[in-house]
Parts: sequence; structure tokens; C-alpha cells
Amino acid sequence: MVFNSLHFLWFFVVVYAAYLLLPHRAQNWLLLAASYYFYAAWDWRFLGLLIGSTLVDYTCALALDKTSNPSRRRALLCASLGFNLTLLAFFKYFNFFADNLHAVFGALGWRVDFVTLRVLLPIGISFYTFVTMSYVIDVFRREIRPTRNLIDFAVFVAYFPHLVAGPILRASRLLPQIASARHVTSDQLRDGAWLIAWGFFQKIFVADNLAGLANTIFEPGTRHTGINVLLGVYAFGFQIYGDFAGYSNIARGTSKLMGIELIENFRFPYLVRSPQEFWRHWHISLSTWLRDYLYIPLGGNRGTPWQTRRNLLITMVLGGLWHGAAWTFVLWGLYHGLLLIVYRAAAPLDAAQRWALGPSAIARVFGWAIMFHLTCVGWLIFRARSARQVGDLSLSLLTNFSPTSADVRGLLAPFVLFTVPLLIVHACEAYFDDVLVVRRLPLAMRYSVYAATFYLTMLFGNFGGSEFIYFQF
Amino acid sequence: MRARTGADQSARVPDARASGAAGGAGRRIRHAVVFIAVLAIQFGVFEAALRVWGSSEAAPSFQGLFEGDPVIGYRLKPHARVRFTTAEFDTEIAINGDGVRDDEPVGPKMADERRILLLGDSLVLSVQVPLQQTFGKLLEQRLNARASRYRYRVLNAGVQGYGPVEELLLFKSIAAGLQPDLVIEVVFVGNDAEEAVTSAPKLRSDGRPATDVVSDSIVTRLRRIARRSMVLQVLRLRVVAATERFTTSLAPPEPPLQSYAAKPGARIAEGVAITRRCIEEIASIAAGSGARTAIVLMPARFQVDDADFGRLKENVAAAGGELQRDAATERFDKALSTLPLPRLDVLPALHSASRGPDLFFQQTVHLTPRGHVIVADALERFIEQEHLLGAGSDRPMH
Repeated sequence: MVFNSLHFLWFFVVVYAAYLLLPHRAQNWLLLAASYYFYAAWDWRFLGLLIGSTLVDYTCALALDKTSNPSRRRALLCASLGFNLTLLAFFKYFNFFADNLHAVFGALGWRVDFVTLRVLLPIGISFYTFVTMSYVIDVFRREIRPTRNLIDFAVFVAYFPHLVAGPILRASRLLPQIASARHVTSDQLRDGAWLIAWGFFQKIFVADNLAGLANTIFEPGTRHTGINVLLGVYAFGFQIYGDFAGYSNIARGTSKLMGIELIENFRFPYLVRSPQEFWRHWHISLSTWLRDYLYIPLGGNRGTPWQTRRNLLITMVLGGLWHGAAWTFVLWGLYHGLLLIVYRAAAPLDAAQRWALGPSAIARVFGWAIMFHLTCVGWLIFRARSARQVGDLSLSLLTNFSPTSADVRGLLAPFVLFTVPLLIVHACEAYFDDVLVVRRLPLAMRYSVYAATFYLTMLFGNFGGSEFIYFQF
Repeated sequence: MRARTGADQSARVPDARASGAAGGAGRRIRHAVVFIAVLAIQFGVFEAALRVWGSSEAAPSFQGLFEGDPVIGYRLKPHARVRFTTAEFDTEIAINGDGVRDDEPVGPKMADERRILLLGDSLVLSVQVPLQQTFGKLLEQRLNARASRYRYRVLNAGVQGYGPVEELLLFKSIAAGLQPDLVIEVVFVGNDAEEAVTSAPKLRSDGRPATDVVSDSIVTRLRRIARRSMVLQVLRLRVVAATERFTTSLAPPEPPLQSYAAKPGARIAEGVAITRRCIEEIASIAAGSGARTAIVLMPARFQVDDADFGRLKENVAAAGGELQRDAATERFDKALSTLPLPRLDVLPALHSASRGPDLFFQQTVHLTPRGHVIVADALERFIEQEHLLGAGSDRPMH
């Protein structure tokens, strides 16, 4: 069930009506049943995995809380992490490992037939395994106390707004909201309604319309001029942002309507001026997860410069692999790791870098443009079907850059139409450093944004009901 | 980026929540008035923008090509002239006094004149290309280029959105009067079966008009005003689509492109049967005035375009169906083979020309000028091989 479907509309209307009528405890039962239904709507067979992961981590966390024996605590932590990572490794990466093993054995001249199992990817597995792992690690570190209420914990794991595509929530933030009675304020209702409307705009008007432009360029076996590739990569950059930020906003909005606050997952990521800043503004829940549960445990930046670089590379490569079982994702992670390393290495020396991060308007625009294009290089790697396609498209960009009026009419005009309204709001949010700035605008301006969002979505939106990109991760 | 604290923000952006704290009915009225004013102003802005740059078939200028018809529902408006511009093409379209696409009136038939009438939908009308580049006119030029004792005239009676039922009704009420010697019914295999079922109620035997008598009620007047607005037209289409999705969400959804489904619903077989009956009736009326009838099967773009087929196959599979690339052509070919009428399937000709520049436009999925040339070639060969204009009479005289 996708947010942009009538199925979800029905589902949410029924669940929300019942939610408003029920007392707190019954609301939690309702949320659990609704979340399991939401998940089972894709494939009920994978519901067992979700429930299994919930039970294992609930039990491990309680056992961790009861014992102070360090070796027993470590064993419990390993059991929980082992279970979740095995789920991920099998369901998400088995085909990848099997295919690569085949390729390696094939290159050595050996014929191997034993790894032919085709494993389906359960939707949202990357998100809910990270959610439960962070919970057990937090309990292990004694940063939080585990909940004894299984229903509350199951709601925390399966809560439908964030279940299949994030944000990746922490127990310290969500569990207290589930455990205590909720009161929906009028501000939450208005903010929630705006976030939902804006999320649909980002998905239906921006992402789904730009998908056509991007898909044309990344279609395997096709050849394009450099200007086409450039516009296709730009289009994908805004498509993936609109798609994922749109999902996050709809998730936050629906959650606000129920009186539950989710974290911001995006803060105008294309108006940043350094790789470090980018990862503080893009998929914030994943980047902070990787920082807290991978980068810092690896040593973070506490060791030598070379150890810091190693930690950055490991974190970003694994972060890339988290997005999907393909070498292009590994390359994408490696690319961002290298960007961070180069940026850190240049920091003490580079006057240009200090200027680009400085307060002048020219420096800001220059810094945004540089960082946006560096991010787009990453999107080219991310979206390409293979390393070979990365090479082909890059070659077109560098050697065949000859714009024609047909290109401009066919690609540039729709690209401008579908990105400029988003960029205006984006810039406004960045200027005031507030993702809900629209809600705080003077009346006429606020209503102008509401009306424009309505007209643009209804007149030019793509109502094909396509899935969100991050469902596959 | 200038980072600001929350206190900083509130100093720069007046917080609507705080300023609106006074509350009360007056505040609500003020909000409603402002909102309605903003909606109205933006309505005007979008209406103007769509009229200038919109280029959609919902545009009033394009809709000016059509007028209501009590029997068929609508038809091309005699003497209408519009210019239709999109990102892919820019075309002048003229409808003559007889209500077919042509710059000149059909006029009385000369003794040495032979007329070919093309019946079909938008693939025949072809608003995407200038008249002289349509396959009908290309065919006319080729036939007239031969040293023949006849002068040939190809009449384009295709109408956007028509199916076999409307084509029969048009033929009965208007086109038969154009005295054709050869009627070519162009069946678009992609949707004609489904359109035939939808339009079948128009085939009333009691002689009553197909559409309800036009009334001048307030609702009707408002509807007419709404039809002149592009914004309202697009919003109406959104509501219709949402209603359709809503109703289909209550029943098991049917995968798209049913005409090509491995296991189509009963509706497709019914549509093919209605199409067959319509063509049979056209042929019977035509034969009554000494004209012959032939059938042309026109494929959809994805039957020729591999990338298009790959995408659609995935979409249909995702909806639980199975797309068979040429199933619709094969169904129509089989059903129409029982009629004693010559048939041409233009798919092989398009296939053999599929390498090279596009045969179909990417956005509108209609024939490009090159696609029209290929279809005109195929039609010319077909007419000659089947002696559709009389054996030997149209041969070149050397």
C-alpha cells in the first residue's frame, strides 16, 4: 500500500476515525493492527519476519536490562545483532553475493550450480532492522531502559508511517510518545495537513514528473548528448529528493495528525556547501544512525588522520550498500566517503574552501553550485544500472556536449517547470532555517503557497500512483 | 547558509499562529475571504498560462474543432480552423464544409474522379502533422502521380476519440454522402474493442438521438462555462479519473491494456464482435452505392517500439496481468477474417522500418511524418495488389 493510493486513503480514514474515538491503550492496539495490515498489504508472508524481529529484540532488551554480567550482555547484544544482520544478509544480499560468487567462479573457469536460490526482498527490512538494532544497542549502552510492554514495543517497530521507508526512529524519541496518552493540538493538525499536502506535491508534481526525464536518460542501451545526460542527472537528483522527502513529509504529517512527532529527515539538502553539511541535511535519520552506531564505535575521528579516513570510508561504503545490493551503491558510498576525506584533508589549508563557506552571497551561490554538482555526480553513480553505464554517461557529458533547441524544448522546459516551485520553497526554508516556514508566513503569502501547491499538483501532477524509490532499499 | 536560532526566526518571520491568536468569527471570515481571493487570482494566472503554453487537447482552441451531434455525440465542426502546438509539433488544422479534415470542400464528384474515404480515429485524423503529410494525402499524391485516366481524392474522415460505432454512425449520416468508391475502415487495435463496447448504446434501433436533448438549465449553462476553462477541464478530468479509480478499487482492478491481455475480459470479445458488425454494416451500405470496403489494422506504438513494450509489460505485470505484444492485432485479424473484405495489417511494414527515426511521437503516441510515409507506402501496395480501385483501371498508362 503506497501513500499515493486510494487504498491508503481508505485505510487512513478508517484508522484515523477509530483512533480519535478510542482511549490511549486501545489506540496502541489499533495502531499495531493497522500497521500489520499496512505491511501485510504488500505480502502477508513477510509479516512473520517483522514479528520475529520484534520478539527477538524485545526479549534481548529485557534480558540485557536484567543482567550486569558483561560477557552475558555482550552475548545478548551479539544474538540480537546477529539475528537482524542475518535477516538483512539473507533477504537483501543473498542474490548479490550469489551472483558475484558465480561471476568469480566463472572467471576462474569453475562451473558452480549450487547458488541458484532467488530470494525476494521483504519491503522495509532495511528500515525496521535498523530501528530494532538501535533499540538493543541503546539498551546495551544503558542509554535507555527497555519497555516491558510488548504492545508498545511492537507499535514502535511497526508504526506504519515510518515502517517501510523511514525515518529510522530511535526508541528514546518514539517509545515515550507511544507509552503516554496523546493529545492532538490544533497546531499539529494544521502542520500535519500542510506536511501531507507538501509531501504529495513533492511526490506527484516533482518526483513522478521528473522520473520520465531521468528514466529516458538512464534507459540501458540508449545514447544521449551531454546536455541530455546533464539534465537527466539533475532530474534524478530532484526526483529522488522529491520522492524521499515527500514520503518523509507524508509520514510526519500523518503522524502529527495522531499526535506523534517524527524527526525531520531532510533539511533543504541542495542548499548546503560541504559534504559534511550535506549528510547533516540528507536522510538525517540514516546518517545519524550510521554516525552513532558505526562511525563512532569504529573510533570516529578520535584516532590518527588515517584511522579517521578508514572509518569514514567503511561507514560510507556500508551506508551505500545499505541502499541496495549492487556495486553502483558501493561505488556511490565510496565516492561520498572520498568526498568527505578530501574535504577534511583540505580544511586546514584551503582558503578557497573558507571563502566558499563564508557569508558573502556570491560565495554562498558558488558553494551551493559546487556542492550540488558534486552531489549530482553521486546521483549519476547511484542511478546507473552498471559501472559501464556510469562510464558511458560520463563520456557523453565530457565529450558530446552540444545543446540543440529540441533538447531545450523537450527537457529543459519541463525540468524548470517541475523544479522551480520546489526550489522557491526550499530556498525560503533554508533562509529561515525552518522546514515549516510556510506555516509561519503572513496570511496572504501562506494562502498563496497553499493555493499554488493545490493548482500545481492538480493541474500538472502525475497521478500514476508509482511506488516510492526508497521502498526498494 | 545562515544558521538561526528559533528566537531569531520568530524575529524575521511573523508567526501566523501568534498573530492569529485573537480568534473569532471575524478572523475566520477574513481568512476565508483572503483564501478565496488568492484561489481566484491564481485560477486566472493558471488559466492564462495554460491557454498560452498549455497545448493540451483540453484547450478551448483545440476543442473548437468539435461540435455536438445528436446521433454520434460529437463530430468535427465544419469550417473550423485551429492551430495546435505542443513540444513535439505545431500544426494548422482545417475542417472543410463537409466536416472532414481538408483545406478544400469535397464538392460534386466529377466523372473522372475516384474517391477513397478513410474512416477511423485520431490516428487517421492525425492532428500532429500537416494535412499534406498525412498518410491519406500522401496516398492521394502517389495515386495522382500515376498516369491514370482518373483523378483521385482521398477524404480524411478520421475523428479524434471515435471508435467503430461512431465511425459507422458518421458514415451513415455524413460520409456516405461523399460518394466514395472505396471505403477504408482503419481499426486501431489498441482500443477500438473497448470503445465499441462503451459506445454500443448509441446503436439504438428506435431512431432516438444518442445524446440527451440539450437543455438550457443552469447546470447545463455552468457546464458550458466550465468547458471553456482549461483549469476546470483538467480538474474535471482528475475527478473523473479519481472516481474511476475509486469504483475500481471496490472491485478487483483490471490490468490495463486489456486488448493485449493473455486472458482478456469478456468485454474485449464483445468489443471485437461489435466492431465486426459495424464494419459489416459499413460495407453493406457502401456496396449499395457501388463502393468497395477494405480494412486496415493499425497497431499501437509499443507493438513497434521495444523500449515502450518493455515498460508497459512491466506495468501490466505489476497490475497482475500479462501483456502479449500483438494479441490485439491477432484478435481483430481473426474476427474480421470471416468478412469477405480485403485486410491490411500495417504492423509488418512499420516493423521493417522500425530502425531509424521514430515512427511515433514520444508523448502523443501518434504517427510521425515518417510513420505516415510508411503507412502510405503500405496502403498504395495494398490497393494495387487487391485491385481495390478496379482491376487495371488505375494502372499506370505508359
